[in-house]
Amino acid sequence: MSVITLENIKKTYYLGDNTVNALRDVTLNVEEGEFVAITGPSGSGKSTLMHILGCLDRPTSGKYMLNGNDVSGLPMEALAEIRNRQIGFVFQGFNLLPRTTATENVEVPLLYSRPVLTSAERKDMALSALSSMGLADRVDHHPSQLSGGQQQRVAIARALVNNPAIILADEPTGNLDTKTSIEVMKLLQELRKEKGITIILITHEPEIAAYGTRIISMRDGLVVSDEANTPREDFDETRTAYKAEPVVAAAAVE
Amino acid sequence: MPNIGLFLPLALQSLLRNRVQTILAMLGVTVGVSALVTSIALGRGAQEAISDQLLAAGVNMIIVTAGNYEVEQSGGGGVEADHGSIDDPRVKQLLEEYLIAQQTYRGGFTNAAYYPNGQTFQNAEYSAASNPGRYLKTHFEDDPFAAHDHPTASERLGDSMAGLGAAATLTLDDARAIATQIPGVQFTASGVHENARITVDDEEGKQWFTRLHGTESDLPQIRSGWYFPFGDFLSRKQVENSEQVMVIGRVAADKLFGVGNNPVGKTVLLWNQPFEIVGMVDSQSWATQPTAGDDQFDAIYIPVTTVHRLLNLSKLNTITVTSESAGDTTRIAGQIKDLLRQRHGITDMMADDFTVKTQAEQLLGKGLSPELARVVAGNLESVDDLTIAKLSQSLERANGTMMVLLAGIATVSLLVGGIGVMNLLLLSVTQRTREVGLRIALGARRRDIATQFIIEAVSLSLIGGILGAILGVFIASGVEEFFQWSTDVSILSTAIAIGVAMVLGILSGVYPAQRAARLDPIGALRSE
Repeated sequence: MSVITLENIKKTYYLGDNTVNALRDVTLNVEEGEFVAITGPSGSGKSTLMHILGCLDRPTSGKYMLNGNDVSGLPMEALAEIRNRQIGFVFQGFNLLPRTTATENVEVPLLYSRPVLTSAERKDMALSALSSMGLADRVDHHPSQLSGGQQQRVAIARALVNNPAIILADEPTGNLDTKTSIEVMKLLQELRKEKGITIILITHEPEIAAYGTRIISMRDGLVVSDEANTPREDFDETRTAYKAEPVVAAAAVE
Repeated sequence: MPNIGLFLPLALQSLLRNRVQTILAMLGVTVGVSALVTSIALGRGAQEAISDQLLAAGVNMIIVTAGNYEVEQSGGGGVEADHGSIDDPRVKQLLEEYLIAQQTYRGGFTNAAYYPNGQTFQNAEYSAASNPGRYLKTHFEDDPFAAHDHPTASERLGDSMAGLGAAATLTLDDARAIATQIPGVQFTASGVHENARITVDDEEGKQWFTRLHGTESDLPQIRSGWYFPFGDFLSRKQVENSEQVMVIGRVAADKLFGVGNNPVGKTVLLWNQPFEIVGMVDSQSWATQPTAGDDQFDAIYIPVTTVHRLLNLSKLNTITVTSESAGDTTRIAGQIKDLLRQRHGITDMMADDFTVKTQAEQLLGKGLSPELARVVAGNLESVDDLTIAKLSQSLERANGTMMVLLAGIATVSLLVGGIGVMNLLLLSVTQRTREVGLRIALGARRRDIATQFIIEAVSLSLIGGILGAILGVFIASGVEEFFQWSTDVSILSTAIAIGVAMVLGILSGVYPAQRAARLDPIGALRSE
């Protein structure tokens, strides 16, 4: 079943007198359980595509079907609910709230759930999401007390906490060293395999894109290649090394 | 309805993040609200002082007097006073006694309302002689003009003054009926009024001619400007038991016992009967100064029941009534009239056998004390036609001016506080652009974001407001303590001040909240 169907998506920005065609004509189909890596140089339109896929922005024209529903014409309030329930975001800069515990960070999407959840329900869901990310012993730590990899796992736990259909990862390894990047890729692969979650990964690094089951290349607002890929799986030896890694201060939301 | 419980912890957390700025912004609200509370307290205190003085002067007082001296003027449904009856030897004798007494007792009959030009005698004579049904008698001596086959009070008590002025048509039951049947009546006190000579019961035997009031225990509530430097007023029990106890006015006490001496416990003779002094009454109002012959402080007060017992009477000269609000006196006066006409069986064609007057009318007739007059006249266009309506209007206007002034001060200080809160929140929105973007991306709706910032603003100003209210109460009590200004801190005004702080929080939170809610999540997430 198609989770995502894009038909002739166009996005045009008007900056003063200039017209920027960020997406010229994108047609795309993503099946459930795919791990799609979207690559391309900056200005290729991959970020714009990501925003439209994530319902943070609406296309100028074209049709976007998410889980069989046309969401391209929905108002922003309705899109907020779709982001909340169906999409898990993993950002490049982690985007964790500072001076806020891991649990509270994971609870953020649950605050905006409808119907309203009780604080006990929110806490239970957050703790189980953190445990599934192997962070059961870090639940009360603030982002500044966690390593970069741990922070990104908190961010993934936050993306997963509402059981979304798709996870959108925007340069999730951009701030991480190679070992940790590989660790995060392994986690995303496991999520796909074990839970059947569809993953869309935006990256400009070909070696990170290689972890996907399908690689889409973009240039100048158009899809230039779309190929199935045998995912890379050379991460086993890095796992223990990661745990010994010293705690580093990482960029956090200010 | 936004889920406050959900966002309150978030709001408090983010306030704690900018601790110094939060405290400074809160201080602005605190200063504003404390200014509000203090100025309301001072304003209400001043208002209350003025209205206390007015009530002390008796503006809410209604006096029902037995007899009707305006019967000729009012036409009285065909009733005419029989002037010829002045030739009646008994009336002549009484009138002579009255005139002699008036000369002898240095004009002691100051309350001329009871004996204007001797007309009482004419009307009383008329009533007694030609309209006996109207003149209800319970005791023989209720009618001073009736022939007695037994010693009269004056004979029995050996005092020629005793029982002289007690002719009346009002009863204690009338007083009860007024108290219980007319809404808006605050207190009633029955009164029998006489001129009396009192003698200190010692070797020196100092004497003083003064006004005697037979009354009830609620009188001090009616005369709200009274206070008791020594002892207290007559108790309910003393009135019920018709005890021979007496409260003495300051002027009389000063004359008999010397200025400033405690008269309580001394015995004086009235109608040759011993009375124990249980209290001394003085004025606490600048609008009323005790003076000789003033009928209030040059006076003595004994239980009305004692007067009835000693003089064999059952009637009253007056019933004094106070209304709960000064503006209600005219209505209540009208209802008293209707009630008494009904109780006395007076038909439409007949004149009242009583007179209802509001104290305000008499007060204006007599003229106000200079201080009071200044307060009142300062707000009136013309002093010439001063009426009770204009008097209350004038006070309302004075209060209005005061309130506008205070509202101005409070508005300015609250405005400054509100600007502080708004400034802090704008700073906060700018600092937390990325956080707002994140929340929107994770599913927060615009209104969730706006709610979060408004709750932040409200909790900030609410805490500031509560601290300000506490501070204001302290400042007000300090002002009262050190400057001797009267202040009035009410729970209501404090609650209003805190409510205003809350509204202030909402208002100053709206703009920052809108700015936050309108952020573009994509741009906000990219911002540093």
